[in-house]
Amino acid sequence: MGITGYYRLDARDATHACLLDDLVLLYHPRSGQTHMVISPVPEILDQMCIDERVSAADLHDRLAQRFDLGPRAAALPEIAAHLDALVALGLVRPA
Amino acid sequence: MRHDLTLRIGPATFRIGSAWAGPIDQLARLYAAYPQVEGAIADFTVRLQPTSLARRWVRPSIFITGDHGLADAAPMSLSHGLLAAEMGMNLQMALGWRRHLLLHASSVEKDGRVLVMTGESGSGKSTLAALLGERGWRFMGDEFALLDLDSGAILPFPRLVSLKNRAIDVVEDAVGDVRMGPMLRATAKGDIRHMVPRADAVARMDEGGKPALLLFPRFGPDTDIRAVGQGEIFMRLTQASTNYVALGEPGFAALTRFVQSVPARAIDFPSGEAAFEMVDRLWGEVA
Repeated sequence: MGITGYYRLDARDATHACLLDDLVLLYHPRSGQTHMVISPVPEILDQMCIDERVSAADLHDRLAQRFDLGPRAAALPEIAAHLDALVALGLVRPA
Repeated sequence: MRHDLTLRIGPATFRIGSAWAGPIDQLARLYAAYPQVEGAIADFTVRLQPTSLARRWVRPSIFITGDHGLADAAPMSLSHGLLAAEMGMNLQMALGWRRHLLLHASSVEKDGRVLVMTGESGSGKSTLAALLGERGWRFMGDEFALLDLDSGAILPFPRLVSLKNRAIDVVEDAVGDVRMGPMLRATAKGDIRHMVPRADAVARMDEGGKPALLLFPRFGPDTDIRAVGQGEIFMRLTQASTNYVALGEPGFAALTRFVQSVPARAIDFPSGEAAFEMVDRLWGEVA
């Protein structure tokens, strides 16, 4: 997938989030797994709507309106890498 | 089995069967003050049986089993039969209990509020709970604290306190010989002796309390008190829970509520007196 791929959040993968100091717990009822994540993962997930097909570039542009992401060329692959990691965890699906 | 005993500890009822009379006689003496529930339907069965037919008589060797067993559990000598029964009960709880979130922790209560202490074997959590139970606190348990999934209360599980090596003399001096079990020498964890909790701990074993302070004690040369971040607390408590994963979402909700609402500190202490002073201070300041 990477920066050219598309991703989507499936309703069945909706997680329950809990903020503990500077990390966020995501409980995934479908697998029964608890994931501990830190910024920018919660922020990336916040920008994804259920069943919407989005690319790393779409998410970069949404995040850039709220956060200083630095040069686009560096931020884009980083966002794509996080998305791929979320796919591997089963929290996000390829679209 | 030839010899058996059914007893209730907190919310859990155990039926312990044994091929030999010795372990059951020792349990009956040490658990004499606990509710007699002969004939009750037990939550768990623990069986102490010979590793082979001959091993019932010749160098008797105990295999611990029950509803939930570990295939590779090492056999134990009959002289350690009491320990085998206690380990069997712990194993059943750890592997099979689903009604509460199980935390591998000791706990004591005062004024309806509970101090929970968790740490690895040797951290001093059992000894501290046993000694605090002799100093104005109500002993609730040295091995498992039961976190109620709905109310968030800690419920007691006041089984015998398992004391190891140096802790034996310290506690023996404080409670006297009458409440101590037989000395079990050269077990896999060194010398072990069990202590019977005070009568109030047994009489009030259905009475929980609101968790007010979580400590991570560590017995050693240093004296220190440190704050612990919520992320680290959550991680350590999931490691200290044998049924967090099995409980699913209710376990997640109960544990996150506990982590967010209960103040926590790590304490290093070189002696019982130093630990009592820290506990008193923290109980007054943050609990």
